[in-house]
Amino acid sequence: MQSIQMAFKSILGNKMRSFLTMLGIIIGVLSVVVLVSIGQGANQSVSASIQKMGTNLLSVNIRMRRNNPITLQRVNEMRLLEGVAQASPYSMSSGTLKAGLQQYEDGSIIATTPGYDVIRNYSMAQGRFLTEPDVNNRSFVAVLGQEAAEELFGSTRVVGESFTWMGYPFTVVGILDEIGTSMAGSGDNLILIPYTVGERLFQRKGISSVYVSAASSEEVSTAQESLTAYMDNLMVGASSSTTYNIYNQATALETLNTATSTLTLMLGGIAAISLLVGGIGIMNIMLVSVSERTREIGIRKAIGASRRNILSQFLVEALVISLIGGLLGLGISLLATHFLSPVLKMELQVSPLIAGVAIAFSLTIGVVFGLYPANKASKLLPVMALRHE
Amino acid sequence: MIKMRDITKCYQLGGEKVHALDRVSFDIDDGEYVAIIGPSGSGKSTLMNIIGCLDVQDSGTYHLDGVDTSKYSGRQLARLRSTHIGFIFQGFNLLGKLNALENVELPLIYQGVGRRQRRRRAEEALSSVGLSDRMKHRPSQLSGGQQQRVAIARALVANPHLILADEPTGNLDTATGNEIMGLFEQLHEQGNTIVLITHDRGVAARAQRALRIVDGRIQPEENQEG
Repeated sequence: MQSIQMAFKSILGNKMRSFLTMLGIIIGVLSVVVLVSIGQGANQSVSASIQKMGTNLLSVNIRMRRNNPITLQRVNEMRLLEGVAQASPYSMSSGTLKAGLQQYEDGSIIATTPGYDVIRNYSMAQGRFLTEPDVNNRSFVAVLGQEAAEELFGSTRVVGESFTWMGYPFTVVGILDEIGTSMAGSGDNLILIPYTVGERLFQRKGISSVYVSAASSEEVSTAQESLTAYMDNLMVGASSSTTYNIYNQATALETLNTATSTLTLMLGGIAAISLLVGGIGIMNIMLVSVSERTREIGIRKAIGASRRNILSQFLVEALVISLIGGLLGLGISLLATHFLSPVLKMELQVSPLIAGVAIAFSLTIGVVFGLYPANKASKLLPVMALRHE
Repeated sequence: MIKMRDITKCYQLGGEKVHALDRVSFDIDDGEYVAIIGPSGSGKSTLMNIIGCLDVQDSGTYHLDGVDTSKYSGRQLARLRSTHIGFIFQGFNLLGKLNALENVELPLIYQGVGRRQRRRRAEEALSSVGLSDRMKHRPSQLSGGQQQRVAIARALVANPHLILADEPTGNLDTATGNEIMGLFEQLHEQGNTIVLITHDRGVAARAQRALRIVDGRIQPEENQEG
């Protein structure tokens, strides 16, 4: 209690120096807390956007150029496999769409089949999605995302309107509800057309990509197994490892989580180094202060201070400096994350765990780097210390 | 009170061994007022450091209040300084960042005395040296004589068995020095044991008895009346 009072007195007696010493700890704690929060925020937003895409989503990608065995018929067969709810082929292109004088170049033109809306959790704002007859008859119809409709027609209620692409006229049969942006980019720039139309206009033969949804997120691995068995069966003769792969969103989520956690750890590690440098600053100042106050130590010893008294005086001083520095750093990081959140478009939160760790770490640094100078001070012989001018 | 037998202390000074104290033996009884007098370099400061348990002798025995100090650990010596000895230095040695009252309280802090009692005793001690109106002043706001009074109050506050003064008037003008010496005589009359170290014969003459030290050796005692 008495040592704490003495420590405050000594810190206040040397305001500028105490502040500069604390600055090291403040910056250290600030960088640890803010960087780790950014890492965790990134982690959360990545997870959230993947979850939005659907965790029961799988995709089959075929790498074979020739002898590709996958046809629309086979995609329909996949729907019947164990654990699989829906399967749709997927092919993407881009180009300039025209409606009257309006042009739209940023769209993703996706050729697919009915069922794709189920796989991707799309819902209709107006009209209908693609149908089997659209596919079978190679109808020139399209379903638009909100942004695509807005850009082309200046409105989102445009079912029945038409636009041209590569000279072919398409009739709008449906408008999707707003999807919003996710990690995969804007979801509202879609132009969905029947797979058979796309196959002809994209001038691509064969299905190289199939989106599959599992019946539930628990059945993702069942679906993956049955898809693998089905594909292996089709690919007999070819070296299967290079002919196709099945991509699983749940695994992707795990992989990304691992990646962002590593990132967080790395950022935290770099920041921890600055905390360490702050600690060395404390040691430096305490050492200077010990030699400056040698005479004071001598006087204190002469009037009855024991080694322990001197040790605790200097140690408490280092601790108080690092604790105040840590708390100030934490306070500033709370402010910083508050103001950085909108800038980074990320939900930044200082988790109590990180706050606790940062404070505990700065206290530890106070003890570790305060111990040596304090010990040095306490060992001074009173007679030597008194002789010091 | 003090019993010294064959105390020897050497210093290594630039490769040369210097005998600061050479087989020094003497006794000081309870309630005595003794001056240790000697020219500079005579070893009197070393002797005072050993009496005050600030330094440890190389050989010989030193009993303070019947306690063999050479058998004491650093912590026990600190305790002994805190409870048995009150120091008064030539340079006052007050802590500049503390006011008079806080300086006087300091020895009691190290004895673990509670806040209220500490304050009361420190105020009493300051009043007894005539500084009851300067308690909140810092050393830099006080004259030399006032600073030495604060230092005396600090030495007295723990009710030590022995008051040890090293050239207490060395930094003061004659008039103020006389005042301080008067204070010592007063303390002696109250029954305190006082050891005063000085190079000034006039100061030493005011003590009951003088021990003369030259080249690390105690000289045969002079008759104080002479």
